[in-house]
Amino acid sequence: MIKIGIPRALLYYQYYPLWRTFFEKMGMEVVASDPTSKAIMAAGSARMVAETCLPVKVYCGHILDLVGKCDYVFIPAIRSIQKNVYNCSKFLGLPDLIKAVAPECPRIIDLDIDVNKSKVSLHPETYDIGRWIRPRPKAEKEAAALAWQAHLDYMEAMASRRLSALEYLNGEDPILDTQDKSPLTVALIGHPYNIYDEFITHRILHRLNSLGARVVTPEMAGREGLAAGVEKLVGKPYWTYEDEIVGAAGHYLDGDVDGVIAVVSFGCGPDSTMVDVVQRYARRPGVRPLLTLTIDEHTGEAGLVTRIEAFLDMVERRARRAS
Amino acid sequence: MKITIPHIGNMYVAFRAMFERVGVEMVVPPPTSKHTLTLGVKHSPEFVCLPFKLTLGNFIEALDMGAELLIQAGGPGLCRYGYYARDQAKILEDLGYQFEMVTTELFESKIVGVASLAKRLSGNAPFTRIVSGIRFGMAKISTMDDLERIVHRVRPRELHKGAATRTYREAVDAIDRAQDRRELKAVSREYTSRLNDIPIDPTFEPLVVGIMGEFFIVLDPFSNMDVEIELGKLGVEVRRSAFVSHWLKFSLFLNAFGISEKDRIHEAAQPYLKRDVGGDGWESIGEPIMHRHEYDGMVHLAPFTCMPEIIAQNIMPTIKDRLPVLTITCDEQMGRTGMITRLEAFVDLLRKKQEARRKDTGAERRVLSMGTG
Repeated sequence: MIKIGIPRALLYYQYYPLWRTFFEKMGMEVVASDPTSKAIMAAGSARMVAETCLPVKVYCGHILDLVGKCDYVFIPAIRSIQKNVYNCSKFLGLPDLIKAVAPECPRIIDLDIDVNKSKVSLHPETYDIGRWIRPRPKAEKEAAALAWQAHLDYMEAMASRRLSALEYLNGEDPILDTQDKSPLTVALIGHPYNIYDEFITHRILHRLNSLGARVVTPEMAGREGLAAGVEKLVGKPYWTYEDEIVGAAGHYLDGDVDGVIAVVSFGCGPDSTMVDVVQRYARRPGVRPLLTLTIDEHTGEAGLVTRIEAFLDMVERRARRAS
Repeated sequence: MKITIPHIGNMYVAFRAMFERVGVEMVVPPPTSKHTLTLGVKHSPEFVCLPFKLTLGNFIEALDMGAELLIQAGGPGLCRYGYYARDQAKILEDLGYQFEMVTTELFESKIVGVASLAKRLSGNAPFTRIVSGIRFGMAKISTMDDLERIVHRVRPRELHKGAATRTYREAVDAIDRAQDRRELKAVSREYTSRLNDIPIDPTFEPLVVGIMGEFFIVLDPFSNMDVEIELGKLGVEVRRSAFVSHWLKFSLFLNAFGISEKDRIHEAAQPYLKRDVGGDGWESIGEPIMHRHEYDGMVHLAPFTCMPEIIAQNIMPTIKDRLPVLTITCDEQMGRTGMITRLEAFVDLLRKKQEARRKDTGAERRVLSMGTG
C-alpha cells in the first residue's frame, strides 16, 4: 500500500482531516509525523538559515521525521485559496525549500493551489493527484467528495460545538467544557500551528485551563465572525490566514471574553504588521485587555508561564471590579 | 492637495517631474537620514522589515512639512510591502496626523492605475497632459540610470576616488531641475561627457560583482549603506539588473523591455525554485546562475526577516554551478564598518579566485592590491 506522509506542522491543524480522508479513501495509508519534540525542532532548525521563522523550521523537522516512514510526502504550495488574497512567500516556496534543505525527503507531491492563476482550489476534486501517483488512483472523485465533507464537519465541530482543533484531531472530549464553572474566559488567538503545537507554545491551552480559565480559539468564532472581525479592523483581507489574528482579534476584543492572548512567532512576516494593527486597536478604551506572546525556539517555559499568570491575575481583578 | 511619496533612491525625481507637469504640488521628504530612521523605528512594530521603518519615517517628515496625501505601493500579491499602507495609516492616525493615504496597486492595473491616480489628484487634467507627465518622469529616470551605468564603470578605475560619485550627485540635481525635454537632453549630454572625462587608469582590470536581492534595499543607498560606492572604492565594477527605469517599465506596461531578462533569470532558477515566491526571491536564485560566466561574484542584499529572500538564502547553498555570493542582511542595527570588513574579505576571496584562474590559463599573474582580510 502506498504510504503518504503528512507533516504535523503548519497547515496540518487546518487541513489534516481533509487530506487524510482524501488519501485514505483512495486506498492509501496516511502517516503523520510525530508530535513536535525538542529533537524534531532542533533537527529542523539545524538545516535552515537562522532568521527563518520558527514554524518553517519546525515543519522541516517534521519532514525529517517522516524520512523512511512513507513513499511520498504531501507538501502543497498554497498561493491562494481566495480571490485576490495571497499567502506568505514561505508557503509558496515550501516544496522547493524542503527539497533544498532536506534532500533525503521522500518524493514530494508539490501540488500548486492557486485560485487566482489556475483552477486548483482547496477542494480535492481539483487536485488531479494522478500527476504524482502511479498507478493513477481510480476513486479520486469519490474520495474528494468525502474529504471535503470531512473538512466541513471539522470546521463545523469547531465553530458550533466549540471544540479546539487539538481535541478534534486527537478524538478527545472537550477540555473546554461549555458547562464548566470557570469564572474567566480567555481568547487564545494566532495561527493554529502556533497555538496548537503543544511543544513550541508549552501546552498553553492546558495551562490556561489549569489556571482556571476557559479558552476559546479563532475557529470557534466561526467563519462569519472572523470575516466580520477582519472587516472591522482593516477592511478587505490581504493575507490568506489574516482571520486567525486580525479577524479573531476583531471578534474577541469587543466580544464576550475577559481577555485576549495573541501568540505570534518571531520573524513571521505577516504577523509582524498584523499584530501591530491588533495592538493599536486594543489600546482603545473599553476594549478587552490583550497580551502578546512572541515565541521562538528559545522561548523559556518559565517566562511564558509567568506572563500568562500575571495576565490572568490582572484579568480576574478587572472582572471582579466590574461585577 | 499636497502629495508625498516615500523615498526609494532617486525615484522622487521622476515623480516630481510627473506631478508638477500635471499641476499637483509634491512635497519631497528630506533625504532619508539617521533622523528618518530613528523616527521610523520608534513608531514601527518591532520586527517588521527595514523599508517599512524608513518609509514611515519619510511620511512623518513629509507630514511635518505639510503633506496631505500619502502615496504608498500596495495591492494584492506582493510580499509584506502590500500591507505597509494599512498599518502605516493606523500608526500615523494614532500620532494625530490628518491625511489621506492612497495605494498605487501598480501590479494590477499597470499604467491605467497611475494615469487615473494622476487624473484624480490633478482635478481632472486632460489625459494628454498626464501622458506627457508620465513620459517626462520616465525620461528623467532613464537619464539617471544611463548615467549610473557609466558611474559603475568609472568608479573602480578612477584615479581620484570619489570623483564619479560627486559628479553623479550633481547630475541628479541637474536632472531634477530640468524643466523640459530639451533641457534634460542637454543635462544628459553634459554629464555623460563629464563622467567619461574623469581620469581613469585604463590598464586596471576590476573584478566584476553583481548586486541583487530585495528591490528596495538594492536601490536605496541609505538602506544598503552605499554598498556600490564601497565596492567601487575596493576596485570592483558593479553590475545590477534592477534599475528603476526597468522596473517602472515592467510595472507600468505588460510587455516592455526588461521582461525578457526576467524570463531568462527565472528559467535559470527553475531547477531550484519552480515558482515565484513574491518579492525578488526568484531572481536571487536565478541571477548567480545566469551570470556565472560574466561576473566574479555577487552581493545579495535583503532586509532582516524578508520572507522571499529567506527562501532564496535557504536554497542558495545547494545550487551547484553558481557564483560566490555574499549575503548582507540590512536593518537598523547594521554598522558600516562591519559591512565594509565583510566586503573586503569577500573581495579578497574573489581576487584569489581570479588569480588562481589566471594561473590555470597561463595568464600573467596579477599582484594583489590588498592584504588578506
